[in-house]
Amino acid sequence: MEHLLETIGRNMFAIFGVMALCGATFMVAAKSAVHSVLGFLFTMLCVSGCFLALDAEFLGMAQILVYAGGIVVLFLFVVMLVELSKFKEKGVFQLQSRYAVVTVLVGAAAFVAAFRNMIFGASSPEALVLRPELAKGLDVAQQNAQAVSRGLFSDYLLPFEILSVILLVALVGAVVLAKTERV
Amino acid sequence: MVNLNAVLLISFLLFSIGIAGVLIRRNALVILMCVELMLNAANLNFIAFARHSGSVSGQAFALLIMGFAAAEVAVGLALVVALYRKRDTVQVDDINLLKG
Amino acid sequence: MEHAMTAASHPASYLWLIPFLPLFGFLINGLSGKRLKNNAVVDTIALGSVGVGFLLTVYYFIQLIGLPAEGRSLHQDLWTWFDVGGARVLGGLSTYKIQWAYKFDVLSACMALLVTGAGFLIHLFSTGYMAEERNDGRYYRFMAYLNLFVFSMLNLVLGANIMMMFLGWEGVGLCSYLLIGFYFDKESAAIAGKKAFVTNRIGDFGFMIGFFLIFQVFGSLDYNTLMGSVREVVNLPLITLYGHTASPTWWFNLIGCCLFVGAMGKSAQIPLYVWLPDAMAGPTPVSALIHAATMVTSGLYMITRLNFIYVSAPVALAVVLAFGSLTAFVAATMGLAQYDIKKVLAYSTVSQLGFMFMGMGAGAFTAGMFHVFTHAFFKASLFLGSGAVIAACHHEQDMRNMGGLKKVMPITAMSMILATFAIAGIFPFSGFFSKDEILWKVFEGWYAHGHYTGPVLNLVAWILGMLGAFCTAFYMTRLIAMTFYGEYRGGGNDPHGLTVQSEAHGHDDHGHDAHGHAAPGHHVPVHHENHVHELDKPHNHRTDDPEDHDIVPGHVPHEVSWRMWLPVAILAGLAVVGGFLNYPESLHRILPLAPSELFTKWLEPLLYQVAPAHHGEHVPPAMEYGLMAWATFIWAPGAMLLAWWMYKIDPSWSRPKAFVAKFPNLYRWVNAKYYVDEFYEAAIIEPLKRFSAQLWSFDTWVVDGVVNGVARVTLIWASLMNWADEYLVDGTIDLIEYIVQETSQVFRGLQSGRVQNYAFVMFIGFLVFAFWKFLA
Repeated sequence: MEHLLETIGRNMFAIFGVMALCGATFMVAAKSAVHSVLGFLFTMLCVSGCFLALDAEFLGMAQILVYAGGIVVLFLFVVMLVELSKFKEKGVFQLQSRYAVVTVLVGAAAFVAAFRNMIFGASSPEALVLRPELAKGLDVAQQNAQAVSRGLFSDYLLPFEILSVILLVALVGAVVLAKTERV
Repeated sequence: MVNLNAVLLISFLLFSIGIAGVLIRRNALVILMCVELMLNAANLNFIAFARHSGSVSGQAFALLIMGFAAAEVAVGLALVVALYRKRDTVQVDDINLLKG
Repeated sequence: MEHAMTAASHPASYLWLIPFLPLFGFLINGLSGKRLKNNAVVDTIALGSVGVGFLLTVYYFIQLIGLPAEGRSLHQDLWTWFDVGGARVLGGLSTYKIQWAYKFDVLSACMALLVTGAGFLIHLFSTGYMAEERNDGRYYRFMAYLNLFVFSMLNLVLGANIMMMFLGWEGVGLCSYLLIGFYFDKESAAIAGKKAFVTNRIGDFGFMIGFFLIFQVFGSLDYNTLMGSVREVVNLPLITLYGHTASPTWWFNLIGCCLFVGAMGKSAQIPLYVWLPDAMAGPTPVSALIHAATMVTSGLYMITRLNFIYVSAPVALAVVLAFGSLTAFVAATMGLAQYDIKKVLAYSTVSQLGFMFMGMGAGAFTAGMFHVFTHAFFKASLFLGSGAVIAACHHEQDMRNMGGLKKVMPITAMSMILATFAIAGIFPFSGFFSKDEILWKVFEGWYAHGHYTGPVLNLVAWILGMLGAFCTAFYMTRLIAMTFYGEYRGGGNDPHGLTVQSEAHGHDDHGHDAHGHAAPGHHVPVHHENHVHELDKPHNHRTDDPEDHDIVPGHVPHEVSWRMWLPVAILAGLAVVGGFLNYPESLHRILPLAPSELFTKWLEPLLYQVAPAHHGEHVPPAMEYGLMAWATFIWAPGAMLLAWWMYKIDPSWSRPKAFVAKFPNLYRWVNAKYYVDEFYEAAIIEPLKRFSAQLWSFDTWVVDGVVNGVARVTLIWASLMNWADEYLVDGTIDLIEYIVQETSQVFRGLQSGRVQNYAFVMFIGFLVFAFWKFLA
């Protein structure tokens, strides 16, 4: 049991990653938009788990807050707003779906094939292994939020401010776009 | 121990699913979700490399990207709503004004 | 030489309103008049702007009287009009900035009073005279032009520098053109307008050269600066400009002559007077305002204003005297044989302007200026009176078709008779004082205090002037006798067979003046069939008043409305008493009816005196009294009685007919105005046309030949090219086009208009690029 837990702990990233892939596939494949949203929510939660597994606690929490708390709810609202049932008869997928899926698969296969030595090869270089000692040096366990905020408000202050302006612009733009036109 | 290659592979696959979704779905809402998915895949990469290099810069960037994603969703959903009001549809293939 | 204007000028804050009020009136009426549709509003704006301007002028005039004689000047600088920058002039580099500034001094005050006062009366007259236009939508345009004219004229007289004067100078020219051609749907009016404009351009050219030279010499165009520095310039030993070295007097003579060319055009002197008689094609109020009272005097104003140039330019003055006296005489004789009432007055105006220039030429600027004012009174009165007569006779202008109007329109008749006494120079009407002063000053130049040593030119000019005065008295009496006495000859009532079939019996028409009217008794009808139609169409005769139609026989003249006779009467009243404003010193000694020489003293601060005042201490010679008495008691009355005897005593006009029969050639020449127009046509216009024609044929044969030759070569080459183009180039292009078309058929399907298709293609492209290296 202990061994199992340890194994799970060690492979947490892989578990969450595979679950995320499953959720994403469900999201793309689901016929109903509401199902898609649920798949999206599940995927986001799994990705947040991946973040935690990669010692990014603050980002993991932020992921849950922003996506599960904000964006998914927004999506759900719009799904409710839009009467989706009348689009059903035309089908969920595009006419080009078959080619698109094939192309994506071919692309992915080609990608994997191209980098197979790096990914699967026995000679995969040491540098590609995540180095816990470096992560430890950051004191990520205790102070991840602190470290992120220090980086954010010192080195990346300007992008941060720009982002805030962009959010404001998006807010105004969204209001302008979505409001009822009065003649 | 997590292999960086595994993280890259997962994120690549997530990204691919996102692209496939964008290309095959008719529903604009789902397409938006797929775009979000692609952004998340990118975020995963950032965080993996941040961990790998022992720096928080990647995490900071991931946070910024999340902000952008939120903004994008807000505008995108507003567009969908406007589209629905104007054309009475959220099916992307009904919008073919670009057709020559 | 003495610099007279020394004291500083006083600021006046509302001076700008005097010219700008009419401008506002013009803008309001001109821009919105079409939409106003209410003539009462148009009237109020047009009359109001000029009327208020007149009151303001009076206000400032009174203020001016209160100032000491040497400091009688108000000014207002509004803004810098344009900056010359650094101009190389005689005294080095001039950084003169031309100001938009107004100057209200003794001279411009009088002129402004005249312009606004007479202008107001003539505006008032117009409201009555233009009755027909009031109904057809052209009325606002007329009033707007009149206002614009008043603005321009006020700019001319109130401007504080020569540029401002020039602005007004051109502005009045423009308005003159617009108003002469007011009935532009009538060809003769349009041509007359053009003639006036072109003739004035010739004069303006001289004027421009003149003031360019002034700027070169003085480095400024400001009157005050010019007056301040003129003594300095005159005392220079030599002036070198444009590589020519000469004495200041030489240059001043040149400037004076150039400026006089400008005055010739604007003030209708020989040889540029020809436009003025034709200008009678405009509505009669225009003739009164522009072509008698104000605009034509701007040449006189300019010479008086720049008298400091002329007093140092003896040759220029002699030129002025010569042309003035010649014009005074020749134009007066032309008036003798005209039958068109306005034509008579037009030649009379030209002649009177000649008198004024005579006075200027003799160095008597005040005398000339004074005649400007008296002439403005009586000539405006006469013109407006003639307008009233024309209106009363239903737009009949030929005096042979009038007569006996005194009974039906007594006020107009009385006013015009008084004005005639004034223009003839009968004591104590105003014309006597001004004209006699001029003639005496001219004569005095030769008389030279009893030594008879002056220039012979003065004697010749005086003789011409006396003859001109005789003619003036004659033709004016003739006009009165033909118009107001005898029996009415219009409306089919023609006991003596005097009437003529009126040609173009419409508004102020002068379509055929070049031919002149034929003599009574053996005239040739010059009626053109199409003329009546041409006039009837645009003029839109009121149909509710059958009497008003010119074809209807038996129409009777009627007295005009108060709006028309009141200005006539007021101006006639001024013409009667106006002379006392400049009561001669010599008369004052024996008959002190009024303070002596008010006007001369008033203008004195402006004038540069070459010699000590010539009206001063010396006892007036007996010669002066003698000439005065001769002129006013024998000469002018003689002429008037002669005319009376010829045209009134014998209502069948057998005496003039006999005279014509005896000297047919003389009559023909005078009646045709010495064929000056024809001479210009033959001597200037025709050669110009022929020269142009030759240039044109040169163009056709030589230039065009070369061009055509080149064109032919080009054509041959082009047909070769055409062949190559058709088969080689087009073939290639067609082939490419075909390929493209066929190929595009294949790819057309790609353009579905669906975003996701595009995204898909983009993704494929992205993949291709991403794996370029690995796939290759």
